Amino acid sequence: MVLDVNQRILVFLLVSIGLITLPHINHMPMTVFSFFSLLLIWRFVCVWKTNYLPNKIIILLLVIVAVVLLYTQHKGFLGRDAGTNLFVTALGLKLLEIKKERDLYLISYLAFIVASTQFLYQQSILMAGYILFVCCVLIATLVSINSQKAATVSALKTATLIIFQALPISIVLFVLFPRVEAPRWMLFNHQNTAISGLSDSLEPGSISRLGLSDELVFRVKFAGKIPPPNQRYWRGPVFSWTNGKRWTESKNLFFKKNQHKVTYTGESYQYTLMMEPQDKRWVFALDMPSLYPDSVTKNALYQLINKDNPGKRAAYKITSFSQYNTGDITKTERKDNLQLPSDPSEKIIHLVTQLQGFEAPAERFIQSVLSHFKNENFYYTLTPPLMEENPIETFLFDTRYGFCSHYATAFVYLMRVAGLPARVVAGYQGGEHNKVGGFLEVRQANAHAWAEVWLKNKGWTRFDPTAAIAPERVEQDVNIDLQIATGLVNFSPANINVSRALSWMKSAKQLWSGIDYSWQRWVINYSTVNQSKFLSSLGINNISSMVQWLVASIALITCILAWTIFKTRQTKIAEELILYQRYCKKLARAGVYKKAGETAINFSIRVQHLRPDIAEEVKKITAIYIRLRYEQNLAKEDFILLKNKVASFKA
Amino acid sequence: MSLSLKQRFHRSRFIKGEKATDKSITLSHRRIFILPTQRGLGFVILITLLLLIAFVYNNNMVYLLAFILASVFFVTILHSFKSLAGLVLTQGHSQAVFSGEAAGFDIVINNPNNVQRFNLQASLDRTVNFTLVEQEKKSITLYAVTQQRGWHNIDTVTLSSTYPLGLFRAWSPLRFAAKTLVYPKPNIEEIPFPETEVDQAQEQSPTLANKKTKGSDDFYGLKEYQAGDPIKHIHWKAFAKGQGLFSKQYGGESLVELWLNYDQTPGNNDEQRLSQLCRWVIDAENAGLLYGFTIPGVKLEPGYGKAHYEKCLQALALF
Amino acid sequence: MENVLKPLLDSANSIILGKEQQLKLAVCCLLAKGHLLIEDIPGVGKTTLSHTLARLLGLNYQRIQFTSDILPADIIGASIFDVENARFEFHPGPLFNQMILADEINRSTPKAQSALLEAMEEHQVTVEGKTYDLPRPFFVIATQNPSHQIGTFPLPESQLDRFLMRIELGYPDKRAERKLLVGRHRYSLIEELSVQLEPKQLANIQQQVTEVHASSALLDYLQDLIAYTRESTDYHCGLSPRAGLALLTAAKAWTYMDGRNAVLPDDIQAVLPSVAGHRLRSGSTDSDSIVAPLLNNVAVS
Repeated sequence: MVLDVNQRILVFLLVSIGLITLPHINHMPMTVFSFFSLLLIWRFVCVWKTNYLPNKIIILLLVIVAVVLLYTQHKGFLGRDAGTNLFVTALGLKLLEIKKERDLYLISYLAFIVASTQFLYQQSILMAGYILFVCCVLIATLVSINSQKAATVSALKTATLIIFQALPISIVLFVLFPRVEAPRWMLFNHQNTAISGLSDSLEPGSISRLGLSDELVFRVKFAGKIPPPNQRYWRGPVFSWTNGKRWTESKNLFFKKNQHKVTYTGESYQYTLMMEPQDKRWVFALDMPSLYPDSVTKNALYQLINKDNPGKRAAYKITSFSQYNTGDITKTERKDNLQLPSDPSEKIIHLVTQLQGFEAPAERFIQSVLSHFKNENFYYTLTPPLMEENPIETFLFDTRYGFCSHYATAFVYLMRVAGLPARVVAGYQGGEHNKVGGFLEVRQANAHAWAEVWLKNKGWTRFDPTAAIAPERVEQDVNIDLQIATGLVNFSPANINVSRALSWMKSAKQLWSGIDYSWQRWVINYSTVNQSKFLSSLGINNISSMVQWLVASIALITCILAWTIFKTRQTKIAEELILYQRYCKKLARAGVYKKAGETAINFSIRVQHLRPDIAEEVKKITAIYIRLRYEQNLAKEDFILLKNKVASFKA
Repeated sequence: MSLSLKQRFHRSRFIKGEKATDKSITLSHRRIFILPTQRGLGFVILITLLLLIAFVYNNNMVYLLAFILASVFFVTILHSFKSLAGLVLTQGHSQAVFSGEAAGFDIVINNPNNVQRFNLQASLDRTVNFTLVEQEKKSITLYAVTQQRGWHNIDTVTLSSTYPLGLFRAWSPLRFAAKTLVYPKPNIEEIPFPETEVDQAQEQSPTLANKKTKGSDDFYGLKEYQAGDPIKHIHWKAFAKGQGLFSKQYGGESLVELWLNYDQTPGNNDEQRLSQLCRWVIDAENAGLLYGFTIPGVKLEPGYGKAHYEKCLQALALF
Repeated sequence: MENVLKPLLDSANSIILGKEQQLKLAVCCLLAKGHLLIEDIPGVGKTTLSHTLARLLGLNYQRIQFTSDILPADIIGASIFDVENARFEFHPGPLFNQMILADEINRSTPKAQSALLEAMEEHQVTVEGKTYDLPRPFFVIATQNPSHQIGTFPLPESQLDRFLMRIELGYPDKRAERKLLVGRHRYSLIEELSVQLEPKQLANIQQQVTEVHASSALLDYLQDLIAYTRESTDYHCGLSPRAGLALLTAAKAWTYMDGRNAVLPDDIQAVLPSVAGHRLRSGSTDSDSIVAPLLNNVAVS
């Protein structure tokens, strides 16, 4: 099939658009995606059969169909999903109306936007590579429009070259371009963009997902003293019911009505809690809140609940106490907090017996469990191996690699087996002190899970098994870099029993997860905080030095680029000619210039006439040069001779 | 050669180019200008939009995409420059034309480097698109519509390219010293040649006979009869012997000498007369006549052939 | 080589005095299998030159005087009805000789000119559908009066291109002219000349000329020269590919005559005025000044 230039360009463009929209198949409504595919296929057919192109009326009808389709799907055109669908549909409709070169450009630009919306759903390194490839194809389309040549491969080559040349500057921009967090009013739809932090159930890995997120959850400004790091437990949802794998809040709603009298002792802290927009109503107060504004209520699990829309920033004045006694618990509460999914296995019973769970006092048992964690080979890791079946037992006896949720759930499980009412509390732990603002910043990475055990005369008492295994997690702030450095975050499933034959696969997996982690850490999560941290480590502290660096590095890169782009490959000059030119240069320095149209022989005659002193040499050099340049059988000796003669020639 | 600041930023440099020259021009940073096209501005809007999306969704990957596109935009400037830099342009021949026709100017474009030059556009009145491969030398002809007879100077030639992405247009305005001769527009009406005074003609060139009959003087051979040959030329004797039809062939040129005189040319004004004279010169040359030519101040001896023809037309053009 | 051509040139020089360069070019043209155009005023020895060459080479020689009333049939020959045999018979004209002197070619009408020039190009003549081969070697020396003379039909460019070279003889210098005045009549001297080069030898030499080496550097120079004529405003139209080929062949012949086996730029420059002078149109008329910009501006390396 022979295609003319324009057809080729069209095919090129349509293929790249197909490639760009393809990954959207996962998150677009089927109807919209099929509508787009229909338009794309239609246009593809029309590359060959131009009379199938729709006329104005049909296009108008299609537009109406598209609008109706979009509206019924999203009830609007703003927001991530609606916006994406809007752009994709617009792209599809525009495809049917290509009249001028300008339309091709408009389509390419729309395609770039659709490519960017892909990142709103997925930011993995694979997706980035894919989009980069697709951008290459799009740019190649522009190249072929402008070169009026139908050479697909050379257009792709040029596009790739341009992108590669563009990469250094874009990396510099990426690193140095000031990041400002968008003010929330700019968000089209809070539902889609509000922080999705802790969920209302606890599963292995549900917190480690947040472990690398630098997203701010709330800020706390203390009126007086600031609690020490190991006291900074920000109380969130409390999970007491479990199926052995998943932990959820108790279904017994009466808890919420039944308020206990709590006696507060110890240090009191007054602070203002500034919540970022959330998707849940939870307000993360410092354990244990006593005074709080009317806009929130405290439930029976001592968790503060927002009455209003959580999607707004909100500030709450709260007073908390570090010491407290919650008093007695009811029967139902006791029953709920002793709930086990099934009878504990022999192994568990054995372990609890071994740790004197059935005979020793509660506090001693707790201590022995904690020291069990500490003394046996338990490891704290952000990336624990997957534990599908019976996670608690697997964790306790096999893998022993776990994150805070593993430790907390296992701990609570052991407590319940020993007959002590216990539950898992999720929330945040720690917080970074911001010296400039004088407040604590708590981020998603601070998400944590700990345990509460009901003790006689003490009420619900907090125990953090993670602190036993990784005290620095609790005592210092979460420092992600440090965690990597100390191996807290390791990427291997650390399964020692993996056979050696598979070790290369394992190391490949390790390598891949390493790359993936770095990608997450350095690219996706490179935000305001990360940026200022990274830049200040380079000695860039303020905007003006940032701009200076930006300009300087772009200038440097431009110089290098210009050099590589403009350096022209010289055509190879024959060596005898180079030598002869050297000889002419020597003569020119002595004031004898060779005219453009003068042959070597005529020149030599003239030189001999002008400079009888060097006549012999000139004669010889000319003779050898002419032999080398014009005669059939070249002699290597002649070449060497000429080289020597020219070298020793003095005018 | 260096330019003063004032010269450097004078507006005409960007549109009309530097002083006209008849030497070859090598395109360098001094002669190449680059500005974004409409599409380029659209691309800027695209980048801004992407930055906005990145900002609102705080999405680093979208930031990265926007930055890559911004860098592509930036790098394209260098590529745009490269698409023209180093080309050597030289003016070539220019053909004389009749007024109202498009005059063609040849421009020789040499690509001395080892890079391909895609989709170059050279424009005078109309635009010519072409591509140069490595070390290619190409001669292109640009046309300019002519209005008046006389010398016609070539306007500014603009060489431009939007390669590689169409986001920037690199252009170079070039002025050459080339000029072409514009002959008067030949009259459309057919007016017969003026009567030639035989005496005068013979006086002018005594060696040439003034014979008006064609092909009937000297017999020089026979050829096979072809339809249309005059009957009286048929070699009847041969036909009678049954040898087929032959035509007798006669040689000799009709050597009519035509004098075209300005004063005897019909017309209301100079231009109309010149136009008529021009028409006669063309007809006379096509008819293979010997023609001489007088206009006030110029007298050309009768002659024929391309050189003579051009001489006559030149005299008319510059009258 | 030299021992073959030297006696030839020496003998020629003894007849035509003081024109060594022109004679050499004429022989060079012959060796390159080209035709020669001599342009000059009457009486400077154009006829003598051609006659001498024919004599030295032992070629059949025929002179055709072109006049304004000459007809193609006068040159080519004609079919004449033979009454006895009752059929047409072709009577070859003066063209059927090895060396033709077409004297004052621009005095005749274009019709007659083209009859000759077509024969030159194709080495054969077609009369009434029958083709007759011309003898070999076939060498035409045409003479032309300077075009500004009265009553001339200048050869059109397309016809000029068929001559490999155009040379101008010019007046002899004082010493040569004195010798001419003192010496015997030229024609009697020509009669005494003996053949210096057999046609077979000539064919052999013509073959050897084609084998002279032309390096790529030289071809670059040649192409630069041609490109210059096509691009520069010094010339109205450039050299044709045929002209380029002619230049190379002529340069090869020149090289051969100098006893070398590789063409040098000097050889090209030596033959350039005669080969290119009549093919280029520029402001001036004499060959040397026509090619001067070429020789000066095209760089040789």
